[in-house]
Amino acid sequence: MKILALNGSFRKNGNTEILLKQALMGGESEGAEVEILRLTDCKIKPCRGCGLCLFKENVCQEKDDDVNFIFSKIEECDGMIIGSPCYFLETTAVIKQLVDRCWILGHEIRKPPKPATVIIPYATNGWIPYIMVQPNILLNLLGMKKINQAAFLVQGISEIVLDQDSMDLAYYLGKELSMAIRKKDYTYRGEPGICPVCHDWNLRILKDYATVECPLCGIRGSVSAIEGKINVKFAEKDLAKARFGAKEIYNHYTYHIKPSRDFFLRTKEERKIRAQRYREYLPT
Amino acid sequence: MTQYYVKLRYYPGDSLEEIKDEDLKKFEKEFGVCISYQKIENRELKDGLLMEETLGKSLEDISQEVITISSDKEDNFSNCLIALYKQYRSPRTVYSFLGSNDAGQRIAKKLMNTYGGW
Repeated sequence: MKILALNGSFRKNGNTEILLKQALMGGESEGAEVEILRLTDCKIKPCRGCGLCLFKENVCQEKDDDVNFIFSKIEECDGMIIGSPCYFLETTAVIKQLVDRCWILGHEIRKPPKPATVIIPYATNGWIPYIMVQPNILLNLLGMKKINQAAFLVQGISEIVLDQDSMDLAYYLGKELSMAIRKKDYTYRGEPGICPVCHDWNLRILKDYATVECPLCGIRGSVSAIEGKINVKFAEKDLAKARFGAKEIYNHYTYHIKPSRDFFLRTKEERKIRAQRYREYLPT
Repeated sequence: MTQYYVKLRYYPGDSLEEIKDEDLKKFEKEFGVCISYQKIENRELKDGLLMEETLGKSLEDISQEVITISSDKEDNFSNCLIALYKQYRSPRTVYSFLGSNDAGQRIAKKLMNTYGGW
């Protein structure tokens, strides 16, 4: 049993690293082998948007970096912990950089899921509305199942060690992950959130002013007020339509992406002519 | 007289509800437009999923449901599109309108932003 921690923080022995290591110690206490990977030590080039991985399966043109190495580490593990500081409302860019390189994974028919946990230290209450967005996207694209998540209020470097409750929680999260792997029980154990699929608190209001949507997983529901409290109801049939489900991902690649090649080829000549002035104007 | 003609191509999973011929007939009558419907199904059940290889296939040949609306009255045409979008939401891809004429496509795209259900 192996647990991999992906660290989205540049700082060595900063709060994210300490919390991740504490969680790994918890994982080890239940018999897991553990490993930590600092993503900022890895070379993760931006996605070129060339589209070749979409049309020639499993071929990424960007070979001169560490993304395949990271994917191989993820493949090897039985469970994962994502950690990242929150600087401006969400996780660090390196997490997103990795997310953007995940196109290539979408061709795979989903393997059995692996459990994962998310750990986010942050410095100011109210500045964290999007902290679960990138970790959720990454885990979903990797076909993993989040079993818990936690945000930790902490500011200066390594100050988290002063907060025993937080340290205990991080340890517990790692231990819990180990146990989940062993028991093959990937039930979500964290705070419920408003969305029953991704357990986040964000909602998007659609322009009909009647429907709300979880912006991340795309499930839709209706909203009402009961005794002054907002009540969001998602229909059971809509839960199956979550964006990152096996069927939805398959349909997205099969019907929204792959056929675009035909459209691209059909419009080639007209596109060339119309785009010419932009090639000539302020050439880059 | 301008003729408005649009094809709405819904790929598997795109429409909010099942597209039913009888519903389309109601819309046709209500808005005084012409509507036709075509369903193309090329998926096969594999590993518990309905699957299809779409790479390299012509856009018209892959599994989809195509609702074609035509009218020479802009208001009727627009109102019908709004009703269709409300029922099924708008199609999703840039090639969803393939085969439409410019006048029809322009309206369909414009209405999509407000009424498309996305």
